[in-house]
Amino acid sequence: MQDADEQHDLSDDSDYAAAKHQGSGMGVLSESVEAGGFDENDAFEVVYSKENVAIHPSQHIGERISGQLRVRKQRSSLFLRWVPYIHIHHEADYARNLSKSSTLAKDIQLYVINDLPFRCIRCIHRYIPPLAWQYIIIVLSSGLAYPPLYFYNGGIREFLATLKQHLLVVRSADNVNVFLVNDLQDPLQRSLSSLDLPRAVPNSRASSVKSPTAAFAFDEPQTSGRAKTNGTSGASEFAEQQAVKSHDPAFEISLQVLEKFSLITKFACETTSSIFHERQNQNCPSFEKISGENSSSKVLKSDKMLEPSHPLQFDNSLIHIGEPRQHPLDSRELATFFDSEGRVNDSLALRKRIFYGGIEPNARKEVWKFLLGYYLYDSTYAEREYLDSVKKSEYDCLKSQWQSISTAQVRRFTKFRERKGLIEKDVVRTDRSFSFYEGDENPHVKLLHDILLTYSFYNFDLGYCQGMSDLLSPIFFVIEDECESFWCFVALMERLGPNFNRDQSGMHSQLFALSKLVELLDRPLHDYFGQADCLNYYYCFRWILIQFKREFEFKNVMRLWEVLWTHYLSEHFHLYICVTILKKHRRTIITERMDFDTLVKFINDLSGKIDVDEIVREAEGLCLYAGEKGAACIPPGTPPSLPSDIASDFYPDNGDL
Amino acid sequence: MASRRRMLLKVIILGDSGVGKTSLMNQYVNKKFSNQYKATIGADFLTKEIQVEDRLFTLQMLILPFLQIWDTAGQERFQSLGVAFYRGADCCVLVYDVNVVKSFDNLNNWREEFLIQASPSDPENFPFVVLGNKIDVDGGNSRVVSEKKAKAWCASKGNIPYFETSAKEGINVEAAFECIAKNALKNEPEEEIYLPDTVDMAGSSRLQSSSSGCEC
Ligand SMILES: Nc1nc2c(ncn2[C@@H]2O[C@H](COP(=O)(O)OP(=O)(O)OP(=O)(O)O)[C@@H](O)[C@H]2O)c(=O)[nH]1
Ligand SMILES: [Mg+2]
Repeated sequence: MQDADEQHDLSDDSDYAAAKHQGSGMGVLSESVEAGGFDENDAFEVVYSKENVAIHPSQHIGERISGQLRVRKQRSSLFLRWVPYIHIHHEADYARNLSKSSTLAKDIQLYVINDLPFRCIRCIHRYIPPLAWQYIIIVLSSGLAYPPLYFYNGGIREFLATLKQHLLVVRSADNVNVFLVNDLQDPLQRSLSSLDLPRAVPNSRASSVKSPTAAFAFDEPQTSGRAKTNGTSGASEFAEQQAVKSHDPAFEISLQVLEKFSLITKFACETTSSIFHERQNQNCPSFEKISGENSSSKVLKSDKMLEPSHPLQFDNSLIHIGEPRQHPLDSRELATFFDSEGRVNDSLALRKRIFYGGIEPNARKEVWKFLLGYYLYDSTYAEREYLDSVKKSEYDCLKSQWQSISTAQVRRFTKFRERKGLIEKDVVRTDRSFSFYEGDENPHVKLLHDILLTYSFYNFDLGYCQGMSDLLSPIFFVIEDECESFWCFVALMERLGPNFNRDQSGMHSQLFALSKLVELLDRPLHDYFGQADCLNYYYCFRWILIQFKREFEFKNVMRLWEVLWTHYLSEHFHLYICVTILKKHRRTIITERMDFDTLVKFINDLSGKIDVDEIVREAEGLCLYAGEKGAACIPPGTPPSLPSDIASDFYPDNGDL
Repeated sequence: MASRRRMLLKVIILGDSGVGKTSLMNQYVNKKFSNQYKATIGADFLTKEIQVEDRLFTLQMLILPFLQIWDTAGQERFQSLGVAFYRGADCCVLVYDVNVVKSFDNLNNWREEFLIQASPSDPENFPFVVLGNKIDVDGGNSRVVSEKKAKAWCASKGNIPYFETSAKEGINVEAAFECIAKNALKNEPEEEIYLPDTVDMAGSSRLQSSSSGCEC
């Protein structure tokens, strides 16, 4: 369902620029736009034709699908067409091929470029490796790209020259191998329409999430005008589902094709985002006016153009990427966030800074108190000093409550004995291989115990639950002071306490939201989980219960937590992390047809194998893409939301996105 | 074709927190004991390839401690975690600490909890194995549950095999898991056991006779 919607959105997007022109009365639409796609029955002219243009569906250079590339002109519009030979010459054999090696034939079908209107193309990249075949990559205005087309008989120059005769083709100012394609008459308008939309960049990323299906969506508009098929639900996805159901041997291969599409799209995403990029990033291109006759048109300037030796070498599991991680916030930079009295006036800027870079270890102690909510951002130095002293005596009072229970009393106080016993058993099993807690009779272990037992008196109803020692351990390591660690832990438990509710409601609402997010962001995986009876997401239990504490090394846990605690893009960023990790392994999960038990083990065994920076970056991209649809998957009040939270800054200024 | 499932034996290990479930499993699989195991959150899961009566199996061992935090009794709002995890179990191991009387008293709860959630087709005959762990502590001086008492309980529940173990010293661990594997195998319905054409029937009958005794 969701996917079908997505696709409509995406296919609409390809027409977006044109539609916008129409709407704003620019009057520059060609008839063909109005008429829709290419019409076989109408007159056309072949303006370019090249044999032996091939794609490589995999990294094996031997595996290649050759075909014919044509540019056809109908009325005033140009259409690109690439058709593999098997499709042209072996129509008769086709059925036989299908049954014999259905996988291959079907796969080849997927690559066909079916009279793509040039108005959907944003740019063409030309690659001329010195010792290999030349190829081009066609990037659509959505940011999606087709697989590289290798010109085995040469002819790229001729191809581009032909285009120039019929279209406005502008060479990128800084990269001679990037050609911006533009078949609208007003280049300025065209550039703006594809560049200045606030959604432009998120969209190009967005599309890449859906890469396999979305890539096909572009083939659809031309055909769907005549035969509006339900195939919009995504040829690939359909293939995938079917295959899973029927144990089709084609299954694995079609998955591979999907992966290829996603990696190609990822490549395209990087390529395009290196052209159409987040402006604030230094490495990234900026827009610049070029002088001369074209002075009115904006042209892209790229400082660093991506030049992969082979585009298929990109990691195929990455579908989505956010901003590059920044260096961590250090004390000196931190100081700039405080005014003379010690207030953090722009807490959003601080949280944003931390979200993208984390905090240097020596600055953590100060910042965590704010992130966790023990200190208020708008408090002054003096106010915080006062708070510390009040909280100190409050802590001492709480602690003395259990300290004053005599041994005789303890004997008649089962609840206390059990609770204390549980804590004792757990603190000696908490991070003991980490130097701070290492060794016999380690005083820090004793203090963990004291803080937890005091907490169980502070919140007697919740008490102590397994997992709490894991949550406290990094806090105590960073904050060092017993009393302040306690209050920071209290603040954290304001949010995470529901994770430990006896009725499981806190965990269940998060698992529910997670399943909704996967449904939105990875429908095929969701469907697979449905078939495999794995929709309860219990295998992600530990991730959520203790915020990935067991999945990363100690120092990376701290990094991840401070990112989560900023609540910068979402209070539920941890759920996007879950989705990202699952997505990364979707291929293994689906091809190996993991059942529930296998999945539990598989997910458990990922512990220690996840790269924290990479996962945060991808989750950021995913979260931005999901946007409000993502937020709508998460019911209000789902932990770690505060009960009466004002959700005003979930989506902070999008200005720089 | 033999399905993959038949070659898997799924064992659920239950018991109070801290009785040594994770330690026992690691002693059995990795032949070592560490003081640095973490408390189990979610589920611990280990597998081991084993041979029983000349046949190879994968023993899947699943520890689920969180149920003790959230006993789901009366909470019918959600599908219980247990239902999802216990599904398809071939044997259930109940562990207690011989030095902690409460952990022994809880065996009954654990057993019932399992039977309710897993709802095996033949609950009367579903294979359980009981382990009394940490017999090494204080040279046995801090022990509060006697072997006699434990065996009496096991006998009352349909002759559950009983072992006294030390995960720390590696005492009786191998023997206990051997029995666990055999009992898990016993649970497989006869017709579901995959027998290649060449298997002699003597093999399977040997299995039958030895598993019922189990020397436990
Ligand atoms: N002396 C002794 N100590 C043991 C033995 N087995 C486990 N322990 C210790 O008992 C504590 C708990 O052991 P675990 O194996 O973590 O217990 P568990 O049953 O898995 O506990 P949860 O994960 O909380 O359910 C640890 O400190 C172990 O080192 C044993 O046979 N002898
Ligand atoms: Mg354990």
